[in-house]
Amino acid sequence: MDGLTTAAYVVAAILFILSLGGLSGQESAKRAVWYGISGMALAIAATLIGPGSGYWVLSLLLLTGGGAIGYQLATKVQMTQMPELVAAMHSLVGLAAIFVGFIAHFEMYRVAALIAENADMSELGTFAILIAKKTTVELNILRIELFLGIFIGAITFTGSIIAYGKLSGKVNSAAQKLPGGHFLNIGAAVVSVITLVWYFNTGGFAPLFFMTLAALFIGYHLIMGIGGADMPVVVSMLNSYSGWAAAAIGFSLGNDLMIVVGALVGSSGAILSYIMCKAMNRSFVSVILGGFGGPQGEQMAVEGEQIAIDADGVATALEEADSVIIIPGYGMAVAQAQQNVAELTRRLRAKGKVVRFAIHPVAGRLPGHMNVLLAEAKVPYDIVMEMDEINEDFPTTDVAIIIGSNDIVNPAAQDDPNSPIAGMPVLECWKAKQVFVSKRGQGTGYSGIENPLFFKENTRMFYGDAKISLDALLNKIA
Amino acid sequence: MKIGTPKELFDGENRVAMTPASAVELQKLGHECIVETQAGVASGFSDKSYKEVGVEVVKTAAALWKTADVIAKVRVPNDDEMKRLHADQTLISFFSPVADDDKMKTAAQKGATVVAMEMIPRISRAQKMDALSSMANIAGYRAVIEAGNHFPRFFTGQITAAGKVPPAKVLVIGAGVAGLAAIGTATSLGAITYAFDVRPEVSEQVESMGAQFVFLDFDEDQKDGSETGGYAPVSSPEFAAAQLAKFCEIAPDMDIVITTALIPNRAAPELWTEDMVKAMKPGSVIVDLAAEKGGNCKLTVMDEKIVTNNGVTIIGYTDFPSRMAAQSSTLYATNIRHLLTDLTPAKDGVISHNMEDDVIRGATIVHAKTVTFPPPPPKVQAIAAKPKVKAVELTASQKRATETLAFKTQTKNQITLLAVGGSILLLAGLVAPASFMQHFIVFVLSIFIGFQVIWGVAHSLHTPLMAVTNAISSIIILGALVQIGSGSFFVILLASLAVFMTGINIFGGFLVTRRMLAMFQKS
Repeated sequence: MDGLTTAAYVVAAILFILSLGGLSGQESAKRAVWYGISGMALAIAATLIGPGSGYWVLSLLLLTGGGAIGYQLATKVQMTQMPELVAAMHSLVGLAAIFVGFIAHFEMYRVAALIAENADMSELGTFAILIAKKTTVELNILRIELFLGIFIGAITFTGSIIAYGKLSGKVNSAAQKLPGGHFLNIGAAVVSVITLVWYFNTGGFAPLFFMTLAALFIGYHLIMGIGGADMPVVVSMLNSYSGWAAAAIGFSLGNDLMIVVGALVGSSGAILSYIMCKAMNRSFVSVILGGFGGPQGEQMAVEGEQIAIDADGVATALEEADSVIIIPGYGMAVAQAQQNVAELTRRLRAKGKVVRFAIHPVAGRLPGHMNVLLAEAKVPYDIVMEMDEINEDFPTTDVAIIIGSNDIVNPAAQDDPNSPIAGMPVLECWKAKQVFVSKRGQGTGYSGIENPLFFKENTRMFYGDAKISLDALLNKIA
Repeated sequence: MKIGTPKELFDGENRVAMTPASAVELQKLGHECIVETQAGVASGFSDKSYKEVGVEVVKTAAALWKTADVIAKVRVPNDDEMKRLHADQTLISFFSPVADDDKMKTAAQKGATVVAMEMIPRISRAQKMDALSSMANIAGYRAVIEAGNHFPRFFTGQITAAGKVPPAKVLVIGAGVAGLAAIGTATSLGAITYAFDVRPEVSEQVESMGAQFVFLDFDEDQKDGSETGGYAPVSSPEFAAAQLAKFCEIAPDMDIVITTALIPNRAAPELWTEDMVKAMKPGSVIVDLAAEKGGNCKLTVMDEKIVTNNGVTIIGYTDFPSRMAAQSSTLYATNIRHLLTDLTPAKDGVISHNMEDDVIRGATIVHAKTVTFPPPPPKVQAIAAKPKVKAVELTASQKRATETLAFKTQTKNQITLLAVGGSILLLAGLVAPASFMQHFIVFVLSIFIGFQVIWGVAHSLHTPLMAVTNAISSIIILGALVQIGSGSFFVILLASLAVFMTGINIFGGFLVTRRMLAMFQKS
């Protein structure tokens, strides 16, 4: 049976790789998710019938129970709440990693005790037998692997819970730190290193326990110090961590499939974090350590005034326009305005106008968040463009509509070398003939930087809640 | 406020300053609209069509002038109309403030406000009210049509069974709004079009419309036209001589010449001399859009069409927009409507004449009993951005050099990474036991595959990617399943919890991914 399980694992690993690779296009992705599902089913089935597992009725029951809850979550969740859901799920992976790590530790302890007594070992489970065969060096490596698995799992657990709280509004989304700031994090990291040495030498439970507490604190405090708009980076980073935790546990259990999947997920999250950081022109470290590195000098003064416009004016301009580009941001998700945006798009398209969407990589609170929201509202994906695809089309566009985004359309990123966001790639919407900005009030964006776009001659401010404003606009456009 | 539009009294004027469509928009601003009966008939808008959109139609001009708070019209008011103008009334119209000094003073004495449409500053914000441009556009189009009407051949070249027809050659002098419109019309009719302007920087616009720019053999630092409000400045004698020589050279070739050169507040410059007319072939046509200001050709007779002794037709009409009254009324009425939108900032039907506003100040020539012409220079100066200094083009060898450099750094980076990664692996292999190294190889290869695969994921699918990776990272369940059967109660409890939680994750993650992917639909 051992061979069969290994063979099944190989097939499952290939299915997982195909599943991720299939996400390169919308149509192939629909098939790819089935690869993932079959891979997972195969892996679980092979493990259940494979050597060493017991209580498999109990396992199946628990799995079904969890599955029922998962089903409820997946079918009920609003697309605007996707970031929260993803963060919450990461926390579960983190917690599971801690538990599995602890179990491995207990097993190791028990086997060591049995060996010391020279007791009968035929009754032991697979994992225990595996441990029993290990040499001292291998046991030491196992301790490090376990330690790492629990450490990363614990950071993922509390970090994801805080990220969930911030995304769902249950925790204040502003960057907050306890007095002491990063020294507390450094302190916790030092404690972890000390406990590692301690655990390596003794193999006792106490160092493992203290390390877990320290790691839980790091996860909590690190994410508390990161503000709302940096959440895309945070969520993808936690995604990456959940993968590394799985890989580390895979090492300690000697399970190759867990290592493969952990490495896939880990590198996927790492790449996403990298893309997000690149889109903000900031280094990963500066995002994780929180806050914007203050302005490097005198910022350009913004001249002019913000000119307001009402729904009538916007409607007239849209009637006259031939090409329209809509730039959605987190404000659209907050106001739940995606259905109205989609309706506006349908009506304008029915009149023969070219309507497209420009999506900045960090728009929203999750990588690709805006795409999912628009897809939910039945906006066809072939008119939803990435920044690089559409940025050159703005000069030939009649109207650009900005709904609830701010920093990603800030011309200061290009014009003002002293701006804190200088060099960040932005959507050059101000090159369109007319720009309408749907915005609640005159405040600044997440970064607290004044946006010169709002003061440009071809910009009109369409104040008010995005959903209510769009409702008013839809009444004017038949 | 009541906005009234009388019937135009000028002979042959067919336009009207308010159309039913513009009346609808004006009413949205909170105004009431009235028109004199038959005002729109010449441009194709019946009294009935006005009534249908809620515009009041009054019988006489006198009644209209009496009741309306704002009079919107096209032509300069004549003496009768000036008599009807009364205190606190706003008149929006073409006014030619330089020529009609007396009328301006009369209006000031009466306490009326006069907004002259030709005085709208030529800044980008005011383009929507720039009636000179919208009318010039029509004049340019119509000039070509009129020329075609008198030109005895095709515009486009044809090869037919009955023989070969050469294409007509059209020269457009002055590439302003009218000139560009003429170029566009002539090229789309199939003529070979040439264009000339004293501002060489417009050559790009000319070429974009499909004409060839006629360059002079002349070297002088030209003044940038954008500094003089979009008009060409007066040129130097040397320049004029070079221009004359060039025109003499090409005159015999040209079938149709359209001149549009105007200099603000001066007589039109003479560009097409009698000699050039004589050099042209019989049947050729000259359309002089500057006829009102004396003409770019000295033979032009204002408002008339003449034929010279050598058979060249010269058209000096000044009423081109009026000849297309429906089109020009629509555009003019929209210009007026945009102006009134700026004059009614609160959209409550109350005119607020803000003399601080550049556009309104510039166009207002009489206000509060004083003549306010000429206006001070506008606060916003340039109408066109200064041309940017072009980035220096890299030569082929420089390009190759940068490419090789980029390639070299890339290679260097990759080799460094490989070397560092490889040596770390080797070091690990030195100390670690073989059983660990086996797993480690799997781990490193998986990361490598992960990086290769994930870069190909579409940006729009990043959220599904996170959801699906979330689901598969629950592979941790294997660890719990393997251990659940072995050992103490505590182990079973922890393992059960782990199985339960990962179960939530597996089902939740995959299902939500599927739900999301199903939403992505093509149009």
